[in-house]
Amino acid sequence: MAFNGNSGNGAPSEYITLISSDDFEFTVLREAALISKTISRTLSNPMMEARTGVCHFPEIRGVVLEKVVEYFHYWYKHRDQLDVPDMPIPVELCLELLMAADYLGMDSKPASRDAF
Amino acid sequence: MLIPYLGSQITNQPKCLVVFSEVRMGLGAHFLASHNISANQIRATAEERRRAAAEANQQLEDGDEEETTVVVETSELSLVVATEEASPGLTTRGRRAAAVNAESAQRKKEKEQKAIDKIKASKKFQKRKREPDGSDDDDDLAQALFEQHSAPLPGQMGNCELCGKRFTVTPYSRSGPDGGLVCGPCGKTLDKENPAPKKKPKQVTGGAVGRRRQVQSNILDGTFTLGGKTLATLCIETLAKNIDLAEDLGDLPGPVIDKIARKLSRHRLLNPTTLSLFLQPTADEVKVYDGAKLTVDDFFRIFRTVPGLKKLKVRNGVHFKDEVMDYLMSRHIELDDLYLHGSNLISEAKWKEYLEKKGKSLQSFRVYWTDKHFTDDVLAVLPTSCPSLTRLKVCHNQKVSGDGVKHIGDIPTLRHLSLDLREHVHSDVYVELLSKIGPNLKTLSLTRAEGVDNSVLDALHTHCRSLEKLRITDSEVMTDAGFARLFKDWQNPGLFFLDLQKCRQLEAARPRENPDHVGLCSDGFRALMAHSGKTLRNLNVHGCRHIEAKAFEEVFSEDSVYEEMSKMEISFCEEVTDFVVGSIFRSCPNLRELNVFGCMKVKDVRVPRGKILVGVPNARGMVIEGVDDFL
Repeated sequence: MAFNGNSGNGAPSEYITLISSDDFEFTVLREAALISKTISRTLSNPMMEARTGVCHFPEIRGVVLEKVVEYFHYWYKHRDQLDVPDMPIPVELCLELLMAADYLGMDSKPASRDAF
Repeated sequence: MLIPYLGSQITNQPKCLVVFSEVRMGLGAHFLASHNISANQIRATAEERRRAAAEANQQLEDGDEEETTVVVETSELSLVVATEEASPGLTTRGRRAAAVNAESAQRKKEKEQKAIDKIKASKKFQKRKREPDGSDDDDDLAQALFEQHSAPLPGQMGNCELCGKRFTVTPYSRSGPDGGLVCGPCGKTLDKENPAPKKKPKQVTGGAVGRRRQVQSNILDGTFTLGGKTLATLCIETLAKNIDLAEDLGDLPGPVIDKIARKLSRHRLLNPTTLSLFLQPTADEVKVYDGAKLTVDDFFRIFRTVPGLKKLKVRNGVHFKDEVMDYLMSRHIELDDLYLHGSNLISEAKWKEYLEKKGKSLQSFRVYWTDKHFTDDVLAVLPTSCPSLTRLKVCHNQKVSGDGVKHIGDIPTLRHLSLDLREHVHSDVYVELLSKIGPNLKTLSLTRAEGVDNSVLDALHTHCRSLEKLRITDSEVMTDAGFARLFKDWQNPGLFFLDLQKCRQLEAARPRENPDHVGLCSDGFRALMAHSGKTLRNLNVHGCRHIEAKAFEEVFSEDSVYEEMSKMEISFCEEVTDFVVGSIFRSCPNLRELNVFGCMKVKDVRVPRGKILVGVPNARGMVIEGVDDFL
């Protein structure tokens, strides 16, 4: 069981772990990862993922997931700013990343920033 | 020290002397330059010395036969050899010259050392040394200064580091691999071998103003949001930039492919090559957002590659002409949705032929921007040949008149109707149309209906029972009473979308007086909000300038809440004040965007966080993105 699941006192940890198809583990700020609708749904359901804070993505390669995690932090850092510089996307990962973005439900903004 | 091959060594001597003279030249460059001593003069003396040295050699060779060994007196050699005084003492020193070559390196080194010591003591060095980013090694720094100092200045002569030839140093002289300068021809070959690294093109950032402009532009485009773009958007933008590298989009989901297509069209990148990416044989929908670069053959290709085509959308389809229609009719393709924009080369006969042949399956038929060939007669074919037509749009059309609109009334299946015609259509035509198909209509859009009067509003009131979206714009004869009658006790459930822009009195001489209450005024506005306020998502009363402040204040009073409203356009409503804008934000909690262009009484309004107020006439710019947290 990962260290970042629910701690003993019941409050969820502020970090979660994402695991890629080739077993790379990424630890991300929970709040940042919630931009992904898929992840936020998974974590809100009373499922194993919600208890442990560990999500497996058997369809996403490590390099792609790494970029996704980078995006989480990029988004989190700039979430309240005007005129944000674009995050560079490596061309060779573009299509795969697009698939991952679609799978993770990251194609539109959260309805309201108060959701977080 | 024994030197067996004295003769050959001695011949080197004059060269050594010249080298020394050059070292001095280098060292004294500043001095010479500041004392106006020309390089030519120095060269002349150097040549003279060389001649003298050659003569001395001659003498030496004569005396060589007697002497075979030379004793070197190092103490003397360690003295700086001053070339100026070389000539007279040349003969005597010539005898020791064999040793000079061997010792020259040492001598040079010592001289260098002296110069470096001098540099180390200089003010400049002390100053440089204090600078923190410099090398902390004293010797390194002094060496660097020395080398910098000793390089010949532009305009002087130097010896090429590679070929040894003398050349005039210019500001463009290249430095060789060991740090010295090289002559022009050698420099060129060096350039060929390893060209100087190209300067990186400066990135155009646009500066602060450019960025601010971009933000404003995004707000007006409606694409503005706080924070970064979504990951999908970033990917699509990258993809659009590198679309020439893509061979196949793989099995991406439809909506994503559609977004890519839109992005490409926005940059006008859709051409015969990139079109292939969007033609998937299994698809039933093809959307060409910008077909300006496509030829007849490309349209053929669409029908060939996508045999199961059901929905076709072509914007700027200039080459979608008769041949394409013929081809489409010859295929087993039964479209149920046809959207053509700018296809002006389809003849009237071909429109009719297509509708008669393939109209049976057609459910949605939209035609934009045609001038001559989409006529009343084409519309006349619709009722008989399109039994399942639910959506009809004829926009920016120069030919259709009242006769054609009458035929639309004979399509009982119609649910959505949009007309934007240039020909004048009398209100009676619309009244008749509404009496026939009004009860089932969900959408009615009459754009630029200048002559349409209250009778149409009354017909709406009487016949329409399922309307959701209503647009009547630019009417110059409808009156406030007409609007009030329409919305008062209207059996139709609340509208979602209402656009009554520019329904106002046009009177240049006395613009403020409106005795007949032409256009949407206070009563009409109150009535419409009472009827549809709770359901409206999008309201446009742009230019309805006779709505009074009192009406706004009553409608957006403290206890009225309009949950659904997300976008409002109240530009050029003169009476709108800061208070009205504040009340609107209070009464519409989900409002995202409010347009107030030309509302000159809006001066300094507090905008809640995350809401956008566009068009404030002040120096802060067009837009205020709210930062106040009071709501």
